[in-house]
Parts: sequence; C-alpha cells; structure tokens
Amino acid sequence: MKRRWGLVVACLATAAILAPLGWLWWNSLIPAQYSVTEMGYADYGGGPTASDMAGMHHDAVSIDTLTVGTDRPADVEYELTARQERFTLASGRSVDGYTLNGESPGPVIRATQGDLVEVTVTNDSVPDGITLHWHGVDMPNAMDGVAGVTQDAVMEGESFTYRFLADQVGTYWYHSHQVSHEQVIGGLFGTLVVDPPPGGSSTTAADVDKVAVVHIYGGVRTVNGEEGDVPVEAQPGDLVRVRVVNTDNGPMSVWTSGAPYRVVAVDGYDLNEPDPVAGQATTVTAGGRADLEVEVPASGVRIELGGNAALLIGPGAEAVPATEAPREFVDFLTYGASQPLPFDPADADRHFEYNVDRRPGFLDGRPGLWWTINGHLYPDVPMFTVAEGDIVVMRISNTSGDVHPMHLHGHHAVVLSRDGEDATGSPWWVDSLNVLDGETYEIAFLADNPGVWLDHCHNLPHAKQGLLAHLMYEGFTTPFVMGGEAHNEPE
Amino acid sequence: MQSAYKVFAYLIAALVVLQAMMIAFAIAGLGVWVDKDGGVLDKASMESDLEFTGVLGFAIHGMNGMMLIPAVALIFLIISFFAKVPGGVVWAAVTLLLVVVQITLGLLGHENPYFGMIHGLNALILFSVAVMAGKRVSTATTAASASATTHAAA
Repeated sequence: MKRRWGLVVACLATAAILAPLGWLWWNSLIPAQYSVTEMGYADYGGGPTASDMAGMHHDAVSIDTLTVGTDRPADVEYELTARQERFTLASGRSVDGYTLNGESPGPVIRATQGDLVEVTVTNDSVPDGITLHWHGVDMPNAMDGVAGVTQDAVMEGESFTYRFLADQVGTYWYHSHQVSHEQVIGGLFGTLVVDPPPGGSSTTAADVDKVAVVHIYGGVRTVNGEEGDVPVEAQPGDLVRVRVVNTDNGPMSVWTSGAPYRVVAVDGYDLNEPDPVAGQATTVTAGGRADLEVEVPASGVRIELGGNAALLIGPGAEAVPATEAPREFVDFLTYGASQPLPFDPADADRHFEYNVDRRPGFLDGRPGLWWTINGHLYPDVPMFTVAEGDIVVMRISNTSGDVHPMHLHGHHAVVLSRDGEDATGSPWWVDSLNVLDGETYEIAFLADNPGVWLDHCHNLPHAKQGLLAHLMYEGFTTPFVMGGEAHNEPE
Repeated sequence: MQSAYKVFAYLIAALVVLQAMMIAFAIAGLGVWVDKDGGVLDKASMESDLEFTGVLGFAIHGMNGMMLIPAVALIFLIISFFAKVPGGVVWAAVTLLLVVVQITLGLLGHENPYFGMIHGLNALILFSVAVMAGKRVSTATTAASASATTHAAA
C-alpha cells in the first residue's frame, strides 16, 4: 500500500513539472502559416484605437497597391541574378555563399536623385528563395522586399521587379529579406548610392567618392571584397568621401590614421555642420552607414575599418602607421549644429515603448533564453499601430544584456534623447540605431509612408530568435503570409 | 530506476567535464587565431561566422549548457521521484538548482567577468554533487543489502 502511494506521489510530482512545461511549449507553437497583421496584440501608443477609427475608412487597402506605378519609364535599370554557390572574392579567397551577378558584394547601384530605379532580380539557384530589401530607402511598401510581409519569396526560376523613386540622396544598401540570417551573412547584398543632381545640391562635391561595403566572410573582414590594406587613388588636397556600409550583424568602429575626418552623413542623411574628428572612432551599427570625408594630406591617410581592413588613400599612404582603435567615440547626440525639425515631436499623436529584454521560455516549441519585446515572446509581440500623418515618438530601451541594432523599415527617425539627455547636435536621422545594453533612446518619426513595416533587430540571428515587431498603418492590410506555400521566412 | 538514476547523475558530471573542455578549446583557438592568423575580434566579428580551430567549442558550450544539461537535469529529477534512492530527490533537486545557478552565472558573466569566475567554481561544485548523487545508488544498494542481511540474521 505504501509503495502504491509512493508511486502516485512520484507521478503527481512528475506531472507538476511536465504539465506547465508542456502547456508553455504548446502555446509557443507558431502556425505553419500566419499573417503579421494577426499576430501579437495591437499597441495604439495612446492614440485612437481601431474602433475609434472604424468610421473613418472603408475596407482595408491591400499594400500590394502601394507602388510607384508602371506608367513612368525607368531612368536606371539593373538586372541581377542571384545564385547560391562557391565563389571567389575580389581578394582571391574562395567562400561558400550567395552571389548577385556572380559576385559578392553585389553590384553598386548608382542613381541620381529623382531617378526612377528599376531592378529586376532573378533567382537562378537559391533553393530557399530570395527577396531584395532596400535598406534605408523609404519607398512604397509593396517594394520593401520582405518575404511574407510585402511579397512572396522569389523561388528558383522566378523573377521580381522592384521599382522605386530615388528621392533621398545618400548611401543605402540592398539585401535579401528571405532567410536573411543565412543569406546576408553569406553575401546576398550590395550597395545603393543616390547622388544629388549635378550642380544643384548643398552637399560639398567630393573629388573622390568611394564606396566601402564592409563584410566578414568566414571570420575575415573585407572591404568591397578586398582584404587588408586596400589602396584608393587620390591626390594630396583631394576631398575624399568614403561611404561605409556595415553589412554584418554587430557594430564596427571606423577611424582614421594620418588626418582628421568628418562624418558628413549617417544612414543616408547629411549631418549639419559636422565637426572635424581626431582620436575618436565612429560606430557604424549593423545595417547602418556612415559617410566619412577626409582631405588627403601630402603623406596620405588611412581609413581604418575595424582594425583589420583599411583604405589607403593617396600616394605614400602605405607608409602611414596604423593607429589603434580609439576608445572614445563620436557622440551623434552632440555632433554638428542643431537645426529645426520638419515636425514637432512635442505634438506626438502616439508614444510607443519598445523594450528589449530576454527570458527563458519556448519559441516555436524550442526551449531557450529568448529576446522579449515589452516582456512578450515572439509572436505575441506588439503591433505598433499608427494612422497616416501621425507624429510618433518611440522609446527604445535595452535591458537584455546585449547590443541591438534596431532597424525600422520605410521611415527615418530622428533621435530625441539618450538616457534622458536631449540631442543638441545636428538632427540625427537613423534607420538603424545602435542601442547598447542599459541604454534608452527616444526617437520620433512622421508616419507618412503607409503599409506594414518591420521594426526589428538587424543582428539578423536575433530577428530569427524573435526580436521582430512591426509598424502597422490603420486601414491597410497585406495579402502575404509568413510560411505558407511560398515558404516565406523573412528572418 | 536506480541504475537510471546513477546513469543520469554520471551523465551530468560527464557533460560538465565536456563543458570545461569545450570552453578551454575555444579560448585557446581564439588566442591562436588572434596571435598567429592576425584575427581581429570586435562585436561585428563576434556576431559573424568565425572560422578557426576551436570555434566549435563556443557553440557546443552554449548548446550543451543552455539546452542539453538543463534537460538532462530535469529528467534526472523526474527519475529521482521513482528511483527510491535514499535522499535521491534532494540530491537531484540540488543538482538542478546548481544547473540553474550555473546558467545564470554564465549569462551574468557577459556583463561582469567576476560572475564568470564564480561560473568556473560552480562548475566544480555541480560536478561533485552529480558524482556524489550517483555514488548514493551503490551506497544505498549496499546499505539496503546490509540491512537485509541484519534482518535475516535477526
């Protein structure tokens, strides 16, 4: 009898452990197919809710109507072919990964402000499918290139044409947003540069304009596919603009040896009256861009890209000694001179909280320590809901123990403050913001680009681990689904 | 069930040994990569797919420590309910608790290295407790048979 009771107690104790775990596991399972518009919970940020606005619009508009239209001919046309293959970098190193037109990084796409850009991408041999997302370009939603949100993944043998107006001058990049945590690290990306129209811009024209797309292939840092010291032809006295694109999953440091530099643009937006910098590094966050300008001294100058790749600019630059990575950083909160903003954040219609933390739990049935957004695990995350024309303030805080490069699609936000300290420098517009552990940023943006836009961590494995939310415009919906027959898997 | 208890106790101890080996392998490999191959470690490269001898040690240490060992420790506790090892449930519960402490210390070590130091100490405590738990089975069996002999004699 005693033995039987012992067995009952043992079974009950087992059930007491396994039942809650089983329940948590079951609840975490993500359906094979779901729409981002139905996941998580709507967060209205203190603004009008859906029922408040119910009378204001009729049926929801499908985001695939949000295009530039087909009536206007393209000014700039590119054809890109994506392949999964073993290929050779410009440096001569062979790597397994992904290419566009046989190379990685893919071609630099250059347009002039006002151009209509048309890029047709064909998937030749990527079994998981691909897309192209135009990182930092605030384009019509249907062209944003996110599998399962704005389009279906482009499977082998299929093509997709992206058409958008290049109306923002600056440095941008494009990359796959299908299985992106593998495809971007494997090389499926390239740079997009939008130049000002000749003669008609406030931007100082540089004598030499150099793209520096930085990527780590198999632990080896490269710039434009080259390794180590990469020479750049320029004459003493030349003004050289270096467009640094960080395509990796963590922030990198950029600094110079042999001459001071200015940071003339961040994330495609020019900074106002940038000060000369010496002895400080600039942090370029994952997915972020920084345009540096240097005047080449007679002895040449080195642009240090993380310490193991560098651009050697001007004759004799190979004699310039490399300097160690500075421990001090350019603080864009105070860098440059302030300017009035195009809208007043004090009049914000909505205030959102975006807290990143982590806790143990199940993510789609997998136990682990996962990122949370406002305490919730994916997919039970907030859907930041706005109406067109809203001024939005978002407070991004990070208590997760790791840095997160937070990337909002389709919009540029201006930084208002960090840890309660107001921004006093040049307006600091970002699409990718480096939020360190323990930091709190307040940013503001104008909700002027309707659609469904991801707002996620650009450490792409983190997005895969659930650090992914989205901005949702009232009255709009998407016909595309995550998973499903198209096998859409944007992270 | 007693032999299952024993197997799981020693399995946890063995996995802790593997953890120590893997992290030492990884750190040594990282040192060689920086020293001899000119590798540069910054946040961007930490988050990339690094390639050097030993880099697998980091992945194994992480997966083993965060997934496998806690799962094994949980099963160990459940086995203890049925195994009738004297004090077996308490030893299994302490083992699981030490695993939780170990994971917490490992994570806190990313913010403050001194937690990493304690993580190393707690690994040895966890190893010892798991071995002692396993040893209880043979002790218990011996004690039980000894007591049976005594009863028979009486």
